[in-house]
Amino acid sequence: MINLIVILISAIMLALLLVWWRWPAFRAWIEAPKYSMLRQEHRFDDQ
Amino acid sequence: MTTLAQNLPGQNEQANTQSLGALPSIEYDLIRAHVFASLVTLVISVLFGILVAAKFSFPEFLGGHGWLTWGRLRYNHTQGIFFGWLGNAFLAFFYYVVPRLANRPVLSRRLGWLLFVIWNFGVVLPGWVLVAAGFSQPLEWAEFPLVVDAFVVLAFILMVFEFVLPFLKARLSDLYVSAWYIIGGIIFTMLAYPVGNLVPELVPGARGAAFSGLWIHDAVGLFVTPFAAAIAYYVIPATTRRAIFSHFLSMVGFWLLFFTYPLNGTHHYVYSAIPMAAQKGAIVASVYLGIAVILVVTNWLLSLRGSSGTVSKDVPLRFVWFGVLSYLVVSLQGSVQALMPVNRFIHFTDWVIGHSHLAMIGFASFIALGGIAHLWQRTPGTRYNERMMNWSFWLLAIGLTLMVADLTIAGLVEAEVWQSSAPWIDSVRAVGSYWLVRTLSGLPILAGFLLFWISLVTGPKLSEATKSETSSEASESVVAFENASPVSDKLSSTGWLSYAYVVAFGAGVGFFALSFLVLAILPGKELEEEVKRVAPVTMPMLTASEQRGRVVYGRDGCAYCHTQQVRSLAADVRRFGAPTEPWETKYDYPQLWGTRRIGPDLSREFNLHPRDWQLAHLYNPRLVVRDSVMPPYPWLFDGSPSQPTQEGLDVLAYIQSLGRARQLSGFDRQMLAASVLPGTSDMAMAGEPSARATPPNVPIAMTGGYSFSAPVLHASSDSADLLEEVSRGGTLFAANCASCHGSDGTGDGKASASLLPKPANITAARFSDERLSSVLWNGVAGSAMPPWRQLPTEDLRALVAYIHSLHVPGAAPSTHDVKTLDEGKSLFAANCASCHGDTGAGDGPTAGALAPSPTNFRLKKPTQGRAWDVLENGVPGTAMPSWQSQLSADQRRALVEFVRSLYGPPQENSRQ
Repeated sequence: MINLIVILISAIMLALLLVWWRWPAFRAWIEAPKYSMLRQEHRFDDQ
Repeated sequence: MTTLAQNLPGQNEQANTQSLGALPSIEYDLIRAHVFASLVTLVISVLFGILVAAKFSFPEFLGGHGWLTWGRLRYNHTQGIFFGWLGNAFLAFFYYVVPRLANRPVLSRRLGWLLFVIWNFGVVLPGWVLVAAGFSQPLEWAEFPLVVDAFVVLAFILMVFEFVLPFLKARLSDLYVSAWYIIGGIIFTMLAYPVGNLVPELVPGARGAAFSGLWIHDAVGLFVTPFAAAIAYYVIPATTRRAIFSHFLSMVGFWLLFFTYPLNGTHHYVYSAIPMAAQKGAIVASVYLGIAVILVVTNWLLSLRGSSGTVSKDVPLRFVWFGVLSYLVVSLQGSVQALMPVNRFIHFTDWVIGHSHLAMIGFASFIALGGIAHLWQRTPGTRYNERMMNWSFWLLAIGLTLMVADLTIAGLVEAEVWQSSAPWIDSVRAVGSYWLVRTLSGLPILAGFLLFWISLVTGPKLSEATKSETSSEASESVVAFENASPVSDKLSSTGWLSYAYVVAFGAGVGFFALSFLVLAILPGKELEEEVKRVAPVTMPMLTASEQRGRVVYGRDGCAYCHTQQVRSLAADVRRFGAPTEPWETKYDYPQLWGTRRIGPDLSREFNLHPRDWQLAHLYNPRLVVRDSVMPPYPWLFDGSPSQPTQEGLDVLAYIQSLGRARQLSGFDRQMLAASVLPGTSDMAMAGEPSARATPPNVPIAMTGGYSFSAPVLHASSDSADLLEEVSRGGTLFAANCASCHGSDGTGDGKASASLLPKPANITAARFSDERLSSVLWNGVAGSAMPPWRQLPTEDLRALVAYIHSLHVPGAAPSTHDVKTLDEGKSLFAANCASCHGDTGAGDGPTAGALAPSPTNFRLKKPTQGRAWDVLENGVPGTAMPSWQSQLSADQRRALVEFVRSLYGPPQENSRQ
């Protein structure tokens, strides 16, 4: 049980970090929503 | 404006946050309605909480009616906070934020009002009324009855349509983390709620507890945390006008939280009968959760870097900031207290209550308040009163800090007493002042919430209100992002990323299912097999009366102060007997293991306390336990403890059945040979749970029933030590015995009126050490005198010394003439020997069938007056009749003298 949890979480985290490190395009893609959220907030504020 | 999303292959035709047209409408009426409902239910729920806390210091307060009893108020307190306050606050925020994040309105205004009505008039209000009326479910965070649960599930299904569907319709490629939390929270709570609320009704005992444990944590992890996180992730960038530090980290945190939270559930049952593999899995997941929270909070705090001025100026943001810090502390605390070395010490104590208040007020409520204040300032026609809001923040922060610190220390004090051999009631006495402080700390919290409400309705009028100060400011980070070189071309070969959300969602459902598989279904299977293998074939089911009593026990919240699980810990075993086996609860639908101990564990109550004692204790616990904080249950009686209603008798029957199956099965027979020594190590650490069934050394102390191994306790022979013993014995007598025997030992204590036979007048007889030891160790069968062997031996010895000191002259052996003694002897042989035996040793032929047993005059030597009184009036409640009509006064006098001649010489009396 413990092994399963540790291996599963570690594998997922490692895979994510690897993708983030090796692939700049992924970084841009994953960060994009935080800007669109702010843009949308501006639209509502300017209403 | 060209966006990243529009540049993604295959995304051009999709709607996104920038393509855009008119802004989606926002249902401000629904926001106001939910805010109003959240604050009304918050204040009511906090009042329930203050009453619950006050009853620890004033247990009689509002204790005359079932509707206001501690247990039912406790249920309504937590369920009111969960559904009424937080539920409405979250819903208000959804109406504000979903149209912004999805760039679409919520599905339907009508559906919104239907949801509002169902949530408040199908869930909260009927839930409160039904619980107060005695229809509830004695499961942590699942107390509203099943009929209400149906409306909760319906409400979550409607939430999927109202709030999740807009995101699906929008087909956004850039879903912000708050939206992820809202979608995840709604869907996973919708799935987890029926499992946590319904399954324990269908799966008994330990197996059901495995599911309950999951829900206890899912309630926090899948409902409270995701929605509070959604608010924090929104309010922080919206207020600071700067994007969060890392969306990547936020998504890592999101998935880690959704993966590890459900896996935490069984950490509520560490050292229990649930298979150790599941317990350890939950502990490891708890540690991972701590790591996940560090990630999430780091991201939030980095998002606030350089914004300290805004945090101090903007009260809503300050609320959120305080919530973020609380989240870090409470989560790390949670991870640490799941670890076995810590858990064995603090579990069941007030430490955990402090922890849960830090979670529900410090984290969830502060963030929810921040969210409400934030949206209130941006809702047409509403503004808050900044001064009031500021006061609200400080009152809440001070009250909460005081409460958490107080409960944490109280928990440590309780834990320390529980580890010792001190009687249970000492732990109650030790934290009495902490409970009072806790109640007082609720007052600034209530005032803070009230001021928050007042601040919302006393803000500047619309005409005076100005636009948000920062509304027209361009966000630096957005500008920077727009100016950065486009990355879309780099993504040209990453079409699969557009499916990443689908994959991630599938993984989420998989994680969720995995948690039920590894923490509930697999352990349940193992438990089921163990029960089949180990359970005694003769295990009796509860009678109809016991079953009805169990329902009353559950509805009045008894399981929230008394556990029914002895953990595999030396401290537990010393007090309550062998660890609970899964088969012991195989008929328990739902399980009543409990997660808190204010009173002692009751799973070995069978034969421990006599009937009259139990009834007096239920009617008013302080009749028999002076310093008890247990609520009274007078509605289970017709005016006095000796007149229980059918419900009272049912509860009595249920309580007296606890542990019966184990004691009658002979399961522990071999184990009774040895008793647990103070140095015994915790058993669960030694091996897997199968070890439970074989070697636990069961202490004789708390298993109930008669024990032949009573030690003979002698008062000290040294006069100085004896004085000290008598003095200490007096204190112990006042605390433990005076409620029945009276402060001067004459048997006229508060409880005496409702007990039959009456408590002994211990000034009217001289007792041998052997007799006192036996009574203190085993109680007196057939009377309300319970065993006191849970007291340390030194205390019992002091009591013996004190009782000897109460002896009054007049019990000296008879010196009457031979003729009288001969007459008495023949009368005794004709009328008394069948019970008291030929020699007055209480061993006549009928003695074995009598309870209380006939007096052994060698061990208990009544004074002349007492002996005369007994012959005249008998002893009501025993087999001893009045002899007034059958024997003349001279005959009775002769009998008295003969009985006194049986006492033996005076020098024998003091040390037998």
